Amino acid sequence: MLTAALVLGALLAVAAVVFVARPLVRGGADEALETPDEAEQRRLALAEERDRALAALKELEFDHRTGKVSDEDYRALVTDLRHAAADALRALDRGTGGTMSTDASNPGSTIEPLPPGAPEPPIVPEPEPVPHEPPGPVIVPEPEPAPHEPPGPVIVPEPEPAPHEPPGPVIVPEPDPQPPPRE
Amino acid sequence: MPELGRAALVVCFGLALYAVGAGFAGAHLRRRRLALSAQNALVAAFVAAAVAAVVLLAALVRSDFSFTYVSSFTSRDLPLTYKITALWGGQEGSLLLWLLVLTGYGAAAVLLDRKAGRELVAWVVPVLGIVAAFFSLLVVFVASPFKTHLAPDDGLGLNSSLQSPYMQAHPPMLYLGYVGLTVPFAFAMGALLSGRTDERWIVATRRWTLAAWMFLGIGQLLGAKWAYEEVGWGGYYAWDPVENAALMPWLASTAFLHSVMVQEKKGMLKVWNMLLVVLAFSLSLFGTFLTRSGVLNSIHSFTEGSIGPWFLGFICFVVAASLVLIFRRLPLLRSRTKLESLASREATFLYNNLLLVALCLTILWGVTFPILSEAVRGESVTVGRPYYDFFLRAFGLPLLLLMGIGPLVAWRRASLRSLARTFLWPFVVAVAAGAGLIAAGAGSSVPGLIAYTFAAFVAATIVLEFARGTAARRALSRESIPVAFGQLVARNRRRYGGYVVHAAIVLLAIGIAGSSAYDTSRSARLAPGQSLKVRDYTLVYRGLRSSRAENATETRATIDVFRSGDRIATMHPGKNSYPVEQQVSNEVAIRSDWLTGEDLFLITEQVNRNGTIDFKAIVNPLVNLIWLAGIVFLLGSLVALWPDAREERRLAVRYGRLPQEA
Repeated sequence: MLTAALVLGALLAVAAVVFVARPLVRGGADEALETPDEAEQRRLALAEERDRALAALKELEFDHRTGKVSDEDYRALVTDLRHAAADALRALDRGTGGTMSTDASNPGSTIEPLPPGAPEPPIVPEPEPVPHEPPGPVIVPEPEPAPHEPPGPVIVPEPEPAPHEPPGPVIVPEPDPQPPPRE
Repeated sequence: MPELGRAALVVCFGLALYAVGAGFAGAHLRRRRLALSAQNALVAAFVAAAVAAVVLLAALVRSDFSFTYVSSFTSRDLPLTYKITALWGGQEGSLLLWLLVLTGYGAAAVLLDRKAGRELVAWVVPVLGIVAAFFSLLVVFVASPFKTHLAPDDGLGLNSSLQSPYMQAHPPMLYLGYVGLTVPFAFAMGALLSGRTDERWIVATRRWTLAAWMFLGIGQLLGAKWAYEEVGWGGYYAWDPVENAALMPWLASTAFLHSVMVQEKKGMLKVWNMLLVVLAFSLSLFGTFLTRSGVLNSIHSFTEGSIGPWFLGFICFVVAASLVLIFRRLPLLRSRTKLESLASREATFLYNNLLLVALCLTILWGVTFPILSEAVRGESVTVGRPYYDFFLRAFGLPLLLLMGIGPLVAWRRASLRSLARTFLWPFVVAVAAGAGLIAAGAGSSVPGLIAYTFAAFVAATIVLEFARGTAARRALSRESIPVAFGQLVARNRRRYGGYVVHAAIVLLAIGIAGSSAYDTSRSARLAPGQSLKVRDYTLVYRGLRSSRAENATETRATIDVFRSGDRIATMHPGKNSYPVEQQVSNEVAIRSDWLTGEDLFLITEQVNRNGTIDFKAIVNPLVNLIWLAGIVFLLGSLVALWPDAREERRLAVRYGRLPQEA
């Protein structure tokens, strides 16, 4: 019994050593551990900032729809949040060499410049994605805007991009946006 | 085969040490292969610990009394299930279980969370290795479960109070909770060591923290149920240090689960979150220290005991090293945003955190004060129920109210007008509930009345949140109510799972308030034929009977229960006598009314030679809501834990594991 136990113990030790040593003895060069460079770390920080800003817009929209945020509060908060989202998107686009920004709540979607002459739809953050809607850009028409309402914030291409800046879309917040009607 | 067990533990210890050394070297020198090798060592350590556990389990099942542990905690007559659960019946087995769960969690975390980034995981491995090395050191050199001696004919048996189905599940649940808190701790330290203090460590550990917290919560409720049915004093929580040992890390991790949302949403409270992770993990170590070192019996048994000083040293090391690391990384942990308003969701989370931590530290002081008093002044003092009850009311009632307030307040800031509108219905419901309760005679206990009123407020908030959310969704999608409700929850699992957990806390609060503030108790010595009245029950004692069970002699009193003149039940409270263990246990009889949540709880406190019994009857109103709360808590936790493919995909895009689609 003692011998069997010792043999099993030794086998366990050998198996452990083999398993642990396997990555060390495998052929080929020992590549360095992937560590993000400064640019990648900056991209990540900006991506987190962007997600945070877009999530905050989404949350505000949902809170407004559920009556938790009044129209006045909505108006007061949405401008700042749109500024923050626009800043984050712009910074990310610059930081990633002009890569299109991804909507936090809808991966894969992009915010693209509108074609010249196209009507400028108002933008609201995606409130609660509707299941049958195909994944698409965050530009969704405001539900039945009142005729007297000034146009909401729009997505427009940056008018005169600085030469060193990659062309990228920006969200220009309207100074005094009207809240979408609450359900 | 104790030699195999010993060999497996030595191998485990060696592997854990290697994971520490190779892990730090690999991460520091940025050698990918060395880091992978350390990771493999952690996985292999789990296999070695599992081999050791299997050896001990086999010895327990075979009643191999040559193992000192087996003869100390089992006997030949002990039913098989309790022989298995004796694995955690003693100190050495418990430590082995700790090690097994720890290495299991560690291996799973580094394998499943590789996507968190190799650099971060490379630093996580040695941190997990340090904790694994400490526990394997204990079971190899200090408290080995594989000590042998000349086998006696029979073992000493298992403590009779541990021979309960709840005790089969309660300790493993607590261990899954205690040990689970190692994962967020290791990732937090890994983030600090690597200098990567972005949200990746939070994303990687979100589910681990939630799972550990869920296990701790369920473990405590199982422990409460065990105390209620097995210990036989009529209650379920006695503020015993062993119970508090599990409550403290649960409170700290509850605070963390809330404050981490503020970091995710606003990028704030980074230092606070690190401190909470360290606090929760240190308290889980402290809990194991309390229950396993013997310090609770006497400070002298702590210093004479084998593992106490080791544990204390390790806890000091963990706290000191973590604080130094946090301090050194302070520049990376600065928040760029500030609290905008004291009336905002993030502010309510902050208040909730302050109350939770205050309650946690108050309990910690209540637990440590008698130990410190004995160590410093040589006097043993007891911190009793009034101390804990006072602070539970002082901090717990505002916490309950905040649970209703928080969801009604918007992020960033909320105007008085918004607050007035959102608070209106919960306020009306709470006031109506309070007035109704006073009219119904519940004003006899002010804390009970406040608890019920606050519970009504929170319940109304939860219902309102679900209703408004479903309505808002329907307005957009034109879905039917059930579909809109399902989609609402499915697309916001953490939020609505959290609300379900809040509902569980409401049930818990109602159950605790009902059973502690409005209970009725009567005691009497009864001869056969005599009766006792308690509330609207009349209890008639008919006589005693005895029978022989597998490993005990069972003595039971027969009590006929009458209500409004009708016999509604016959109950059999009594005692079990365990000859091998030389112990006598209280075997209470409980009749639950599931419609009202009330229990009739009967205890035969003493069986006298002349056939009389010293008998106690308790009516516990609403106590069953506590157990119902456990089920709702589990449901809510699972909803919050359930993977969300959309969220996973979003994070994968963020962290560059998936390309951004054009």
